[in-house]
Amino acid sequence: MRAAGRLETLERWMQAVVMHPQGAEAGLRSQSARRLVPAAARHPSAVVLPSKQLSSVERLEIYAHMYFARLVEVMEAEYPSVRQLLGPAAFAAACRRFVAKHPSRSRLLNGLSAGFPDYLARTLPRTNRSGLAVDIARIERAMEDVFDAPAAEPMTAAEFAAVGEGTRLRVNPALVLLELRYPANAYMNALRRGERPRTPRPRATQVIVFRRGFQVLRREQEPEQFRLLRALVAGKSLAVAVRASIGGRAGSADRVGRRLGRWFEEWAGGHLFVK
Amino acid sequence: MTQNYESYDPAPAGNRWGLPDLGLGVGLRTQHFRHITSKWPAMDWFEIVSENFIDTGGRPMHFLDQIAERYPIVMHGVSLSVGSTDPIDFGFLDKLKALAARTKARWLGDHVCWTGVNGLNGHDLFPVPYTEEGLRHMISRVRIIQDYLERPLVLENPSTYLTFAASSMPEEEFIARLAVEANCALLLDVNNVYVTCRNHDLDPVAYLDAIPLEHVVQIHLAGHSDNGTHCIDTHDGRVIDAVWDLYGRVIARAGGRATLLEWDANIPKFSVLQQEVRKASRFRSGLREAAA
Repeated sequence: MRAAGRLETLERWMQAVVMHPQGAEAGLRSQSARRLVPAAARHPSAVVLPSKQLSSVERLEIYAHMYFARLVEVMEAEYPSVRQLLGPAAFAAACRRFVAKHPSRSRLLNGLSAGFPDYLARTLPRTNRSGLAVDIARIERAMEDVFDAPAAEPMTAAEFAAVGEGTRLRVNPALVLLELRYPANAYMNALRRGERPRTPRPRATQVIVFRRGFQVLRREQEPEQFRLLRALVAGKSLAVAVRASIGGRAGSADRVGRRLGRWFEEWAGGHLFVK
Repeated sequence: MTQNYESYDPAPAGNRWGLPDLGLGVGLRTQHFRHITSKWPAMDWFEIVSENFIDTGGRPMHFLDQIAERYPIVMHGVSLSVGSTDPIDFGFLDKLKALAARTKARWLGDHVCWTGVNGLNGHDLFPVPYTEEGLRHMISRVRIIQDYLERPLVLENPSTYLTFAASSMPEEEFIARLAVEANCALLLDVNNVYVTCRNHDLDPVAYLDAIPLEHVVQIHLAGHSDNGTHCIDTHDGRVIDAVWDLYGRVIARAGGRATLLEWDANIPKFSVLQQEVRKASRFRSGLREAAA
């Protein structure tokens, strides 16, 4: 269905004005708004009437303010540790720039900031603090995704007992594997304890984010443990996944052999494998 | 008094679809999930924000499924964007239908507004220009949506903060004509009437008098922020006396209507919501006494 011109023009114009990152006044002067309703840049009252108390621009500013305030508020709830690390003002500014560059195209808010970690990676200055913020953003984004993932029933002890070398395990859809450049999970834990940790130097870490029941959890993994899990997630059989985990490295086979039982115990306790 | 779910007994309807007066309800918010599913408190019904339960498979649906087994559920959305000039999103309607079936929703609705155009979503309730063109556009969209959903759409009057110069009729006339000509149901938000009338220097009583009450199946009550120069529909506090007075006028004219308290920011304990929504019962009990 195509609507007639005037209504469509007004809606596109208002959207261009109130979604402008510098506010409604700048939005009125923007090329996209002027192209739609040229007269409104100089005479906004030709499109929006003033009230007794507020000018036409002030009335548009209410919507412009609410647009960004609402979306920043959503992102504050999703990225509390990134906000803590960057500081509230810098975080809000980053959110506004992100929303201006990547406005929502979904009717739901839960995917609004899916691209925020990558956006931070592209736009923040190349410092250890920024790199850490990007890694923490990846963890917090994964926590959101895992929260919304479909529920699945975990394998029972009897089902685990029947697992053989050729078994391909089904992995919980509420599981995300992350390879990070910084010890971001440990840093987040320190923030949650109320500490003010120093920015760490780069150190590759492997983190899993998963949901056990309705609790979202995150754990750092040993490198071989992470490789094994990644292979299982990719659908490899247990035997192939173990070989991928060892990877021909000296000493790895012994280490994996000694720890395999404990790793599976941890993963089973976390409901990482499902029926 | 507020009924609990065990004594729930929908009153006869006073609207053209026969939709029941569900009594007094509150918006279902995550902060109260555990309280509700452990105490099963006295409350006639709950309203959900539809979008909060779409494309999520974890905790929200776990709690909603339990709550929907014990209380009537009404779905109230914020992104159907009925007034938008973008194409209707039938995939989204499918999701609404599925959620309505799963929760046995008594009805579902959204707002007289648009939320985005050109594929974008502002996640806000933008005002429609109240023109003949806008009205024809919304009527045709509401008819299509109702046909697809196979049930009346319950549309709410939004709080508005600006007036388009192009508007050729007052908001209440636009909504009244939309309801009658599209044959849709209305959710009359009495707080929004107050906020809108403050922002546009209008008379809220005249606004209410213009609304066809036989189309009203539900009423909203909420708190708002008064900034002096304008009011914002913040849903962050108690209902003010002036809004209660307007509610009393509507109930006196319309009779019992499913009434819901919205409280979405600075959300208090569930018991505070119960106390606040119970205030509505004095208007409703006045009706019962008058009828006795």
